[in-house]
Amino acid sequence: MRAALLNLTLLEMKLFMRNYINMFFLLIFPMLMLLLFGGIFGNEPEAMFGGYGTVDISVPAYAGLIISVTGLMSLPLTLCQYREKKILKRFQATPLSPIYVVVSQISVHLIMTVAGMLLLFIVAKVVFDLQFVGRVLPVTAVFLFSTLSIFSLGFLVAAVAPNMRAATAIAYLIYFPMLFLTGATIPIELMPELMQKIAAVLPVTHVVKAMKAVWLGETAASVYPSLLILAGFMLVCLTLSLKFFRWE
Amino acid sequence: MIAVDALTVQYGELRAVDQVSFSVFEQEIFGIVGPNGAGKTSTVECIEGLRRAHSGKVSVSGLDPWKDRKKLYEVMGVQLQDTAYQDQVRVGEICALFSSLYRSPVPYGELLEIMQLSGKEKAFVSSLSGGQRQKLAIVLALIPNPRIAFLDELTTGLDPRARHQMWDLLLQLRERGLTIVLVSHYMDEVEAVCDRVAIMDRGRMPAVGSVSEVIGRFALHTEISFRSSLERTGGLEALPGVVSVGRKRNRITVQGRGDETVLAVLEHLRDRGIDYAALAVKPPDLEAVFLNLVGYSPSGESPRADEKEVR
Ligand SMILES: Nc1ncnc2c1ncn2[C@@H]1O[C@H](COP(=O)(O)OP(=O)(O)OP(=O)(O)O)[C@@H](O)[C@H]1O
Ligand SMILES: [Mg+2]
Repeated sequence: MRAALLNLTLLEMKLFMRNYINMFFLLIFPMLMLLLFGGIFGNEPEAMFGGYGTVDISVPAYAGLIISVTGLMSLPLTLCQYREKKILKRFQATPLSPIYVVVSQISVHLIMTVAGMLLLFIVAKVVFDLQFVGRVLPVTAVFLFSTLSIFSLGFLVAAVAPNMRAATAIAYLIYFPMLFLTGATIPIELMPELMQKIAAVLPVTHVVKAMKAVWLGETAASVYPSLLILAGFMLVCLTLSLKFFRWE
Repeated sequence: MIAVDALTVQYGELRAVDQVSFSVFEQEIFGIVGPNGAGKTSTVECIEGLRRAHSGKVSVSGLDPWKDRKKLYEVMGVQLQDTAYQDQVRVGEICALFSSLYRSPVPYGELLEIMQLSGKEKAFVSSLSGGQRQKLAIVLALIPNPRIAFLDELTTGLDPRARHQMWDLLLQLRERGLTIVLVSHYMDEVEAVCDRVAIMDRGRMPAVGSVSEVIGRFALHTEISFRSSLERTGGLEALPGVVSVGRKRNRITVQGRGDETVLAVLEHLRDRGIDYAALAVKPPDLEAVFLNLVGYSPSGESPRADEKEVR
């Protein structure tokens, strides 16, 4: 059964990579953003950013962008499509439980999220001589934890959406605020107070906050409120997902 | 092999399957026919362990398909009425994946060859024609080297040659020990391959048995029809065994009981010198049983049996 799960995951990985829309938003779009803003503002140390350059502080924020694409768009839409096309049901009639189809999807999306982040890191390093002062372990841990937390929201979307059209609508409705109101692309500090309050309830805001902190060398403990919020959020989403999820 | 006892499937208020009981014997091809929405797929899905029965009992090789699904899926091949595949997956990839799910799969290359899909391994599933995709579904159902196969509308979308090839294949598979449950809308298919057949209608199963038993049970009429210039019914209605005589344009149709009617009609035509051409004798077949059961009369112009018939 382990071999079957591995084969399934490898195949799903290939299929993910054949989907050029996924690949664009995951790999190219964040890179374009980086090249655009890096090109405009450069990466010179700025007193306003505590001695870091624009790129130095944008890269961890873009983690929010990358996680949102996989977790809030691709993951729920794929799961919903597999249900609607009865692919899950077809696997139900094999020795491989359709739970593993879901597991393989989560694995693929997790791996691709990490790949997206790594690519962004490399480009930033090569083109803009990115400074990375964080420690690898907390950064990785916070990144993976954030990813899983946002995935749980994506999973909830797949669970409650009655069909593909509804799922697409919900996904866009969630994705765009996450893109612009969470500091992933536009720094929160530049927003009016009302917007900052709205931002505070969006989970990706806390992803960006936590990622920035550990990226710039602070400990994970220093951002525990954000991490706690993400943990609570994950718990709620998973509970609701399990309640609402249908295989067909 | 399969025993279904008082199976009921309920979707909210709708009772899609109502107290249905039947059994399928080892190494037979069992057909289920019935109008759209009769509950065929719902019934089969319960046996496959994909759907939970509202009430009733189902056992497959002594196992409960819902509880012992894990064990069952090793020996079961399934073709669902409608499955799509992942976007941008290739034929070879999906076959390889399915092969890896089973302990002793049949090499899928062989199956693709039988289905004339050999050259298509590298093709995207989405680029296959409808019939080819149907064949792929059958390949996937046979990959596990199953002991029981469920084929829901197996030959829908296949061309006539492919249909005949499929029937040959089913008969071969049965010889090798496979038990097959076949849902079909084609009566010729059921007559060609099924050892026994069940007719479903509105959630019930009014007839189960061998094809000839089922046909016999309904005591339907033999139909003799011919083209003629005859203006009226020409005394045909008075012949022994004749039940009805109908006339549509220049074609006369006589419904009667059994073979002696055929002889009587022929003699009558000869003795009276009635001209006739393109004479056809059609014994009652499954199609007639089916249409009779769902209330459609093919000889009249209108769909209801009680209208337009010369009695
Ligand atoms: N998932 C479902 N939810 C609600 N109702 C359903 C569901 N599946 C089937 N039904 C209803 O149950 C009845 C039987 O459906 P089923 O699919 O078993 O029919 P069928 O005999 O296979 O028909 P067909 O020949 O069209 O495939 C139909 O009235 C259908 O609308
Ligand atoms: Mg059906």
